[in-house]
Amino acid sequence: MAGGIARTDRLRAIALLSPAYLWLTVAVFLPLSAMAFFSIITDVPFGDTEWHVTGENYTAFLESPTYARLLLKSVLLGVKVTALCVLIGFPCAWVLAKMIKGRAREALFLMVILPFWSNSLVRIFSWAIVLRGNGVLDKTLSAIWPWPVKLNLLFTESAIVIGLVHSYLPYVILTAYLALQAIDDSLIEAARSLGAKWWTILWRIVLPLSAPGLIAGAVLVFVPVVGSFMEPRILGGRLGTYYGTVIEDQFVAVFNWPLGAALSFILLAVVLAILALASPVLRKART
Amino acid sequence: MTRLFTTAAALALIAPTLHAAEIRVLNWQGYGTDIEWAVKAFEEATGNTVVHEYFNSEQETLTKLRTNPGAYDVVLINSSFTPQVVAEDLLAPIDPSKLENFDDLDPAFVKNNGLNEDGALYGVPWAWGLTAIAVSNNDFDTPPTSLEVLWNPDWAGRVSIRDDAVEAVQIGALATGQDINDVQDLEAVRTKLAELMPAISTYWGSENDWNQYMASGEFAAATYWSGSASRSIGKGLDITFVVPDEGAIGWLDGLSIPKSSENKDAAYAFIDWMIDPEFYSGWDKEGAPATANTAAAKALPDDSFNKAVLGDPEVVARVQFMQPMTDDKREEYLKLWQDLKAVQ
Amino acid sequence: MKPRTRSRVTGILGRVYLGAILLFLYAPILVMAAMSFNASEFYQLPFTFSTEWYERVWRNDLILNAAARSVWIAVVVTVVATVLGTAASVALWRYDFRGKRALQVLLFPPIAIPWLITGTAMLIFFFGVGIGRGTPAVIIGHVALALPYVIVVVTARLATFDRTLEEAARSLGARPWMVTRAVMLPWIAPGVIAGALFAFAVSFDQFVISYFLSEPGDSTLPVLIYTAIRKGFTPEINAISTIIIAVSMVVMLIAARFTKFGGER
Repeated sequence: MAGGIARTDRLRAIALLSPAYLWLTVAVFLPLSAMAFFSIITDVPFGDTEWHVTGENYTAFLESPTYARLLLKSVLLGVKVTALCVLIGFPCAWVLAKMIKGRAREALFLMVILPFWSNSLVRIFSWAIVLRGNGVLDKTLSAIWPWPVKLNLLFTESAIVIGLVHSYLPYVILTAYLALQAIDDSLIEAARSLGAKWWTILWRIVLPLSAPGLIAGAVLVFVPVVGSFMEPRILGGRLGTYYGTVIEDQFVAVFNWPLGAALSFILLAVVLAILALASPVLRKART
Repeated sequence: MTRLFTTAAALALIAPTLHAAEIRVLNWQGYGTDIEWAVKAFEEATGNTVVHEYFNSEQETLTKLRTNPGAYDVVLINSSFTPQVVAEDLLAPIDPSKLENFDDLDPAFVKNNGLNEDGALYGVPWAWGLTAIAVSNNDFDTPPTSLEVLWNPDWAGRVSIRDDAVEAVQIGALATGQDINDVQDLEAVRTKLAELMPAISTYWGSENDWNQYMASGEFAAATYWSGSASRSIGKGLDITFVVPDEGAIGWLDGLSIPKSSENKDAAYAFIDWMIDPEFYSGWDKEGAPATANTAAAKALPDDSFNKAVLGDPEVVARVQFMQPMTDDKREEYLKLWQDLKAVQ
Repeated sequence: MKPRTRSRVTGILGRVYLGAILLFLYAPILVMAAMSFNASEFYQLPFTFSTEWYERVWRNDLILNAAARSVWIAVVVTVVATVLGTAASVALWRYDFRGKRALQVLLFPPIAIPWLITGTAMLIFFFGVGIGRGTPAVIIGHVALALPYVIVVVTARLATFDRTLEEAARSLGARPWMVTRAVMLPWIAPGVIAGALFAFAVSFDQFVISYFLSEPGDSTLPVLIYTAIRKGFTPEINAISTIIIAVSMVVMLIAARFTKFGGER
């Protein structure tokens, strides 16, 4: 990994990087390369199963419209959830970073993440209780609204989006907070005293400076949401079939690891391609 | 960490003197073998201890067996999967002479072609049941008699089937008058299921969601397992289990001993207790599937769910028992099911 | 409107907004807690108060042991992942070398590929190389899944660090590790804390890896919950989850009272 850096620096870089990356290699990269191998063979070589190399698992993706349709549906879900998380989370991070001072801030910072120290399955079932017809949400709204409210959101796409935004919002709030909190207040004060409008300040100073945090948060939302299957299944009901569902099925409903692995790597490739395509735009936003 | 090691060392010292073994059972959670009083009774009687590990799907059982030689002593396998496990040489043949209760087992189940291979038995028939339908008594004054209730527009939006490709296809086969083990007209099944899809509120996946959705009124009629229905009724859900005129799917679960088990004697003792009428009468009170032990079935009180619903010969005549199935067939069904779900 | 009143109005609006978000974040948690005090096993309404589920949890060694095991595994994972992840982030930020982009891209597979696939792959590989199963294997797996989250979050915080500060300290003769400790670490502390909180959440909710890699009888709480669902779990699960959240909240509020990690400004 020689670049233009000095020898001592190179040693330091290696010393700092290698524990994490060695760990990742042993526990993730090598196992996943075994999966990558499975994705190009016909059958998993347990015992004396016959197998040979094939591209069939990848071409299967193209042969049926089901996979592509579901992947598109999942990507759109990812975009929707990420956009909502950013729109909702950014102002929240702003309030936390710029309006709250002292000990309260530390406490609130922790409070944002605390709900996620509970089990996701229990959380999703709790959402089902909230969203179902005549459930907690309908009852609460009916109590404060003069007319009876019948939203019955359970088993709709809205329910899936609500559940996922809830699960991933803290990533955006905390990463955006980390970036916003680093912006010097005097910079904003200076701009304001020079007569800059709030949207100019937001667009020219705050957003560019907080971009690294916001982007990191968005990535941490988008990437796992595209592969999600549990929230959609429980909250989406009949509509809750996504790309993650068909991957899971290859491992749970049938024993077809090769196809499941191939579908996962296609997912990974598409996600990385989207991030690569988005990165010039994002980088522009940063400067 | 160190405490773990010292405990292990201590156990190793005590173990030989007691001739006791720790047997490891692989099963669904809450499915008979892990009932507290039953395990306690077994441990007190034999000195063996029982540790459970749970699985979430049959495929994962296979994965666990393949990758953990020696880790399990008793494993529950559905008879339609047993041949696959036997083919991978993971199971030991059963020696009936080591089971005192063996002679009471229903001969039809003992001869089940899923459990037998090359003249040897690989699973002790243990529990069986039906996949049929259950309806809410709040919605139905008289329970329906036909599977068509799921397609009835009156209940559109309040019906459900399980999110399982094989079960979905088999329900479709029943509804189109076909043999569930030999579906000749798969297109008819696809069309029939496609008609059902828009009426479904959500697919259910487990007893847990089934109970919750039924309790909250999301379901009026849904497919269900007989053993689970008996449990749900026992827990106070107001439902009726119906074996429709078109028939129902029958399934049989066997207890098997992995070839790599190092505690086979203790495993036999445990299985013997699991097919004992005394165990079964206790399990039945908590809500259980039907037993494969005829003596145990006879001993049930007349009002017991398993005697009242599954003891009726006319009902049994309508049941089609699931036969072993190849993985190719499962994949074909899965594709059909995924295609149907993807366009919703 | 005068500037001062305007800032007071935005201040109030901002707090109202923050409160609304917290209400959203805690809505399912409140429902979860409420249902732990509801007598109905099927989460049925109307609500009937009962402490039965807490009494049952108290007697249920399986759940208590699993919860304790989950907590201590998560603590170990958090410490290891945070230390390794922070070190890697510092290197990725400080040094420029060929292949750096590749190292950053490599963080995505563990996040993007569903855990079920990664977990299955780990199971196969760990058996192939003799790591086998057991708590060490579980911890190795959890740390690997938590690392990318720590690195991404800490790197995002480092991006806001003023390099000239470090250079100034160095030019004044401070050794690199002193610069790191005295200048950089305090600055990135909020990022490190956030990374640690995410690492804990990842480990504490991780099901697949514990499911495949723990020894029989050594289940963690998620394993117990996921495998219970087929036959139905009871509000005991809500009770134990509520206890854990309540205890965490107390610990965190005490931590917030005595330390300062939200950043200086």
